[in-house]
Amino acid sequence: MSAPIFAFVGNPNCGKTTLFNALTGLRQKVGNYPGVTVEKKEGECFSQHGKRMRIVDLPGAYSLAARSPDEAVMRDVLLGRRADTPRPDRIVCIVDAANLERNLYFASQILDLGLPVIVVLNMMDQAESAGLRIDVAALSRRLGVPVIPCQANSGTGLLELRVAMSRADLAPSPRPFWKLPAELAPAVDELVEVLRGSGRSAEATLRAEALLLLGDRETLAAAGLLFAPEALPVVERWEQRWRSAGYDWKGALVAARYGAARVIVHEVVNASKVRSGPSLTDRIDAVVVHPVWGWVTLAAVLATVFLSIFTLAEYPMNWIDSGVAWLADTVRGALQPGDLRDLLTDGVIAGVGGIVIFLPQILILFFFIGLLEQTGYMARAAFLMDRWMGRVGLDGKSFIPLLGSYACAIPGIMATRTIESHRDRLVTILVAPLMTCSARLPVYLLLIAAIVPAEQVPVFTKVGLMFTMFALGTGGAFFFAWLFKRTLLRGEQPMMILELPTYHIPSLRSVGLHMLERASLFLRKAGTVILAISIVLWALTSFPRTEEATPAEQIANSYAGHLGHAIEPVIEPLGFNWQIGVGLITSFAAREVFVSSMAVIFNVDENEEDATVPLRQALLEARWPDGRALFTPLVCFTLMVFYVFALQCVSTIVVVRRETGSWKWPLVQIGYMTATAWIACFAVRQVGLALGFS
Amino acid sequence: MSTNPPSDCPKTLPLCLLAPGVQAEIFSLGGKDAINHRLRELGFCEAAKVKKISGRHTVMCEVCGTKLAISAELAQLIHVQPVAAA
Repeated sequence: MSAPIFAFVGNPNCGKTTLFNALTGLRQKVGNYPGVTVEKKEGECFSQHGKRMRIVDLPGAYSLAARSPDEAVMRDVLLGRRADTPRPDRIVCIVDAANLERNLYFASQILDLGLPVIVVLNMMDQAESAGLRIDVAALSRRLGVPVIPCQANSGTGLLELRVAMSRADLAPSPRPFWKLPAELAPAVDELVEVLRGSGRSAEATLRAEALLLLGDRETLAAAGLLFAPEALPVVERWEQRWRSAGYDWKGALVAARYGAARVIVHEVVNASKVRSGPSLTDRIDAVVVHPVWGWVTLAAVLATVFLSIFTLAEYPMNWIDSGVAWLADTVRGALQPGDLRDLLTDGVIAGVGGIVIFLPQILILFFFIGLLEQTGYMARAAFLMDRWMGRVGLDGKSFIPLLGSYACAIPGIMATRTIESHRDRLVTILVAPLMTCSARLPVYLLLIAAIVPAEQVPVFTKVGLMFTMFALGTGGAFFFAWLFKRTLLRGEQPMMILELPTYHIPSLRSVGLHMLERASLFLRKAGTVILAISIVLWALTSFPRTEEATPAEQIANSYAGHLGHAIEPVIEPLGFNWQIGVGLITSFAAREVFVSSMAVIFNVDENEEDATVPLRQALLEARWPDGRALFTPLVCFTLMVFYVFALQCVSTIVVVRRETGSWKWPLVQIGYMTATAWIACFAVRQVGLALGFS
Repeated sequence: MSTNPPSDCPKTLPLCLLAPGVQAEIFSLGGKDAINHRLRELGFCEAAKVKKISGRHTVMCEVCGTKLAISAELAQLIHVQPVAAA
């Protein structure tokens, strides 16, 4: 007999993923549901008797009435509507013990599904801290299913949960804990018969499906005919009857569930020890969402994050750089000179090494984002930003993917899956690459070193110039979001509803697992595509072969060199020549490739220690044919502006294609960002020339 | 979508205009069906108690024991009747 499949469900912020991680550890895999951009998390753990149990961690939701792709997948998996995912045998419904009333609304829908359910009462420590005492046995009696008190981040209750999951006699709740309004009962009975007759639905879920059709027909219709088409006329007839009678059937359904939840909470929760006065969360919120101190806090948090990226990552980046150089030297020494050796050292090792070197920065940013999400601060940041995001037609939820894009646009774009509005999601995806990602940093560092003529560039000078580029990119993202919401993707003003969870100590284990998961996704996705493109670019710069040529001469005569010459008329108004053009072409794979391309073009040996110094010198000594300096401060600044706006990242394009389901939006993105980069650079150059720079 | 409650109702005001720290009872929801349904599912049912915490634009409030941040546009749609302090 195959391992039973448990679905983990619950409201967002109920600690579901922490519980999933605690039970499965590293025995989990992350993928995607086919056909939709929703993450699929599966794992396994072992029962009390050592038998394997499969767990599917479904996206968090407040209701089976789906408003986003995540919630739609959750609904369809639970109803057995997805061909790629078997219907779960049992459900573990995680509820937040400190917010029982609201969580019981969703639990009532889960219990209606007719499957065996275990309710996990998570975050018991927070409930107790708030002075709430819950009679777990009484709650279990009222719900008709086992209830396990738990504190997932400390492991409390995990053994009891495993024992409950191991039980062979788990049964569905014998009766719903809420009462269906009398006006709706005949409609539900009729729909159940119609759905039964259609043969499309499992017997256990007929009532739940009937209720869903009555409460959420529009969303179901928009999702396609996942339900029996013969049910729709029945639904429409009853809706017409209720509408004529002035009866709000949807409101009555919700009120019935919440009414029952309120009665249960009144019976099982002893709130006599609840302290009056503001809680710790309230006292912290008084500062972090204060009209003035809130922004100070946000600025301090962001400054800490970005300074950490610049300073802490330096050591591991140097180690990786040395490691990659050692590997290239080893291969170079082991193989005979020739195309194979060049392919391995200059294509494969250089290509993969160019990605791996940025892993420390990405990990640091994922660490902070995970920490901020786990503590509950991220929601406060979204609250602060909502008003300003609203000015450009987005809501505060878009701030979180945009913030993630500062590390890398790829996870930032993937994080847009929680945005309910399709239009707003698209706009956020389109502008996310404008947020200055960590891959731009090596380009900026090289060009800043060329602009500032000191041997040692003070860190605050670097940070100041870097901040200018960040501000440009962020400003550009907001501008284009505003423009797209008024033109290409015009839509209604978004309306944000966001839960602000209680502050709590983050689970470092969960943060660590999240970092590992994101890092492996990043390496897998970016590494495979970039590796392939790096090999292609190596070929473009290596062929046709010019005998007895220096590396710079080889590049000049290569296909890439010819391409550079071909685009020179277009980029010359920006102050760029064909050599910079080759760098722009090669860095289309990944922005950081620009640095290594310049090293090759200007004959710099990258294996020298501190290769930035000789490369900077080489850039400063580079000349146009007429003797003018090539890398003037104005040209360097213009190049930085180019990298702010241009979409120089094929991995991002691939991810956008996957997340949007077509090539239309990646092409729109390449088009508008390239055009903006050219126009911005042209403007910068003209202003610079007018001000007397050359 | 209506931001104004019916004329024959007790004195009510949109949630965004409620003073911070004041508890109120939800009287009506003035949005489209889908928005109202979503609000109700999150606890903003008629006759439910809501306490405004802060905000004149994006509003932070507490309903069903949960703190929520809602956009100004949504807060305009939720008509509430202040409850006298006990």
